[in-house]
This record gives sequence, structure tokens and C-alpha cells, in this order.
Amino acid sequence: MRTVRLLLFVVGAAATAYGGWLLLPQFGTALPWLIGGPVLHDVLVAPLVGLAGLALGRLVTNRLRRAWIAAGLLASATLLLIAVPLLWRPPSAPPNPGLPDRDYPLGLAVGLAVVWAVIVVVLVVATTVDRRVAHRRADRR
Amino acid sequence: MIRRPRVPAPEDFTGPSHSPLVTARLGLWLGVAFGLCFGTGLLSHYIQHPPGWFTWPTRPVNLYRVTQGVHVLSGVAAIPLLLAKLWSVYPRLFVRPPLRQPIRLSAHTLERISVLVLVCGAFFELVTGLFNVAQSYPWGFFFPTAHYAVAWLVVGAMLLHVAVKLPVARAALSTPLRRSGALPAATPGPDDRDSSERRAFLRTSVGVAGVAVLATAGVTVPWLRRVSPLAWRSASGPQGVPINRTAAAARIVVPPDWRLEIVWPGGRDSLSLADLAALPQRTAELPIACVEGWSASAHWTGVPVVQLLRRAGAPAGRPVRVTSLETDGLYAASTLPAAHARDPLTLLALRINGEQLSPDHGYPCRLIAPSRPGVLQTKWVARLEVLR
Repeated sequence: MRTVRLLLFVVGAAATAYGGWLLLPQFGTALPWLIGGPVLHDVLVAPLVGLAGLALGRLVTNRLRRAWIAAGLLASATLLLIAVPLLWRPPSAPPNPGLPDRDYPLGLAVGLAVVWAVIVVVLVVATTVDRRVAHRRADRR
Repeated sequence: MIRRPRVPAPEDFTGPSHSPLVTARLGLWLGVAFGLCFGTGLLSHYIQHPPGWFTWPTRPVNLYRVTQGVHVLSGVAAIPLLLAKLWSVYPRLFVRPPLRQPIRLSAHTLERISVLVLVCGAFFELVTGLFNVAQSYPWGFFFPTAHYAVAWLVVGAMLLHVAVKLPVARAALSTPLRRSGALPAATPGPDDRDSSERRAFLRTSVGVAGVAVLATAGVTVPWLRRVSPLAWRSASGPQGVPINRTAAAARIVVPPDWRLEIVWPGGRDSLSLADLAALPQRTAELPIACVEGWSASAHWTGVPVVQLLRRAGAPAGRPVRVTSLETDGLYAASTLPAAHARDPLTLLALRINGEQLSPDHGYPCRLIAPSRPGVLQTKWVARLEVLR
């Protein structure tokens, strides 16, 4: 394991240095886009996710329901992130007459609707099954 | 009771998603996604800028379509995996540095720097890649070179991170997630609940990665065309294939006396469009597979480049430089490697899906070769030059 770790260190350091050297001519313009991600995540996104998780824990006490709602929120957030460059074209981006050939807002809406429809169906089925099981147990007693 | 606000400490995060058992597994999956993304990205880079030792096969004709599809989709899958991984290790952000122990402090600082490089690079690659598939470039740097450079940064920092974390990760990966037999099933204890929530978090992360892939894979997987709501390209367009660069955008004016020039060391020839159309034609089903991950197949009809060269008396089996009528632009010319130049499926196409090429598809003729990035399938061809 020691040899493997040493090898990983050497190769990793070499690759990082090579990448840094390649990036050097554009480092200045790329820097805000390099730093932006972690700063935005650590200062804004992660605390918000934590707060949303705490709120969800208070509002929904059933564990199964909570897990599925959390999954729905994560899937929705991911779909929204993927859709950002399709929905928002900053003015500095060059127009491309050939490109936007689909209805992206509609696509996003359909995607979100399908995600939540699936979750509602799963929860309704799970609740019904739970109730039946509970009834049967009650009957046996 | 009023609690004074303070910077949280790692111990304040008690959720099961922060367990090393979860982190190590997410790290492994994210590593696989990034590894696929890097490998296929490197291939795409070498195809476009081939070093001397590099050769790329012409078969199967869909090879580049598949590798670039994997590149883009593994990147999409990495978005939720990266966010889940960062959430899992978020408490580690608040680890207090060991200020009084200089040796441990320097190790701590080095590790933090390598992780910072990794996270910066990972976000950079995913964000710029995502904007690039939408062909939106709201930044000052040149996308292909910056994306390529940062890919090396990410891979290097990832290897360093694995080197640091290998003992912890190995121990975590060899600990089963499900604690079987530890507690009787009838009395669920707190450990049991944690274990099930850890598995739920992992299942959700993988599930969301699957949803993200499914939502976009239609750009390149034909049977998902109608399924993927966020595919950035449809498969249709004029004459059945989408267009990236229109003739108007490339400022193409086809001269009335247009002739295809063929140049080789020691000779030259030229053909009119009527001459080309009179030659034996071949029809092949080949994909346009863009670096942006979208792809679409069409039936192309035209003259195989190898036949054209043989007929002119030019040497075949050498690289061929293909130049467009386009005067500026990065992709006004491309070089067919020898393997592609001698492949009988490499066509100078005159027709697409049975119709004459429209101006946007490259009228009067365009290059279409198997297993190549779309940007190298030069349109509005004016000249073929056999290189030495």
C-alpha cells in the first residue's frame, strides 16, 4: 500500500503541475470561474441544503416519506442546474442560429412533473401498503 | 435559552450522510465518473490534436459517437455525485487547523490546498462543460484549452486526494453498510436507523445521477430521443440532421465557377460539381457526432475520397488536408489522418438522405468520415491537399 500511495503522490503531483502549466496563459480569466464554484457551494448552497434538511425533518416525520421527498428535491435541483445554460444565455455568449432547437422551459417542466408524479405514486402506494399491513396486524390481535 | 451564533465544528453534523462509509463510496463512484470523463476527453483531444504516436480507428463508425457520449453523460452523472460527495464531507470544512504543531499543520495545509484545487477544478469542468454543450461561452478564456488544462489539474488533485485518503477509504469500503446480525431485527436501535439512512442517501445519490443521465442522454442515444426532456439538441433539423454552423454564420458564398481542387506533391487536378456527380457514388450511413455530445445519423451519398485521389493519380494512404470555402473560423480546415483518408467510407458527400446538400449542410460538398468529431467533418469543401 505504501508503494501505491507513493506512486499516486508522484503521478498526481506531476499531473497537477502539468495542468497548472497548461492553464498558466489563461489563468487570470479562468480564476473567477475556478474559485466561484467552491465559494458559492460552501457559503451559500451547503448551508441552504442543511437548513432545508432541518426544515424537512421537522415538517415530515415519517421516515419513508421524508426520504422520498428529499430524493425529489435533489432530483429537481439537479434538473434545474442542468437546465441553467439552456434557459439562460448570458448576453456575452455569441448567438448560434442553428442551436436552440427545442423548447427547453417545457422540457424542464415535463422533467420536474414526471419526477414528482413518480414520487406521489410511490408514496400513495407505500402508504396504502402500510395501512393494509397495520390493519392485518390489528385484525390478528 | 439563547445560543450565541458561532462557526460550526465537525461534531455539530450528526447526520448519517456524513459517515466515512458514505463518503468513501460516493468518492469511489465520483472517481469512476471523473475517470471516464477524463479518459474519453483525452481521446477527443488527441483525435483533434494527434501526437505522432496516436492513431484512432475508423471502425466501428460510431466509435467517436460512443466515446464522446460517454464523456458528456459521465460529466452529467458527476453533477449530483459531486454535490452529494461535498455534502458528505462538508463538516470537514470546519476542522480546526492544528496550529501548535508545525509538522501536522503543514501537512494539514498541503492537504487543504490539494482538496481546494480538486474542488475548484471539479466545479470548473462541470460548469464550463455544461455551458459548452449549450454553446454558450460567458467567459474570457478559450474553452477547449482551459477545459483541457483544468482536466489535468482535476485528475492530478484527485490522485493526490486518493493517495492521502487511501487507508481511510479502504477501511470504509471494506466495512459493510448493512449491519447484519449486530442487533436483532425486532429491536431497531439507533445504529440500525443510521445504517438504513446511510443506504438511503447513497441510493438517492445514485438514483439522481441516473435521473440526470436519463434526462439528457437523448442527445446521443436514439431510443431515448423522446424520453430525455433536457437533451440540448433534437435529432431533427433541415434534411433530417441538426446544424451547428450555418452557411450565413460562416459567411459562405459559393462562387458560380466553383471547382474542387486536388493538390499533391508533384501534381494537381480540379473537378466541377458535375464532374463529381458523374463519378461512381457510394451511400453510407454515418453519424455526425459533435464534441458537444449530440449525435445523429444520416445517409450520405458522395464520392469516396480514396477513389477521388486514385482517379486523379494522387497518392492514397497519406494524410489529407481538407480546406473549406470558409475563410476565418477555427474549423475552416481539418486533416484526415492516413487511416481515415484510405477508408472507403470516407466520403466527399454531395447528398444527404437522398437530397442535394443544403447550403447549411455544406453545399456544394462536404467531408463525412467514420468515427470522427463533427467539427472535423469540414463543410463547403474547396480543396483537398495530400500531405507528405
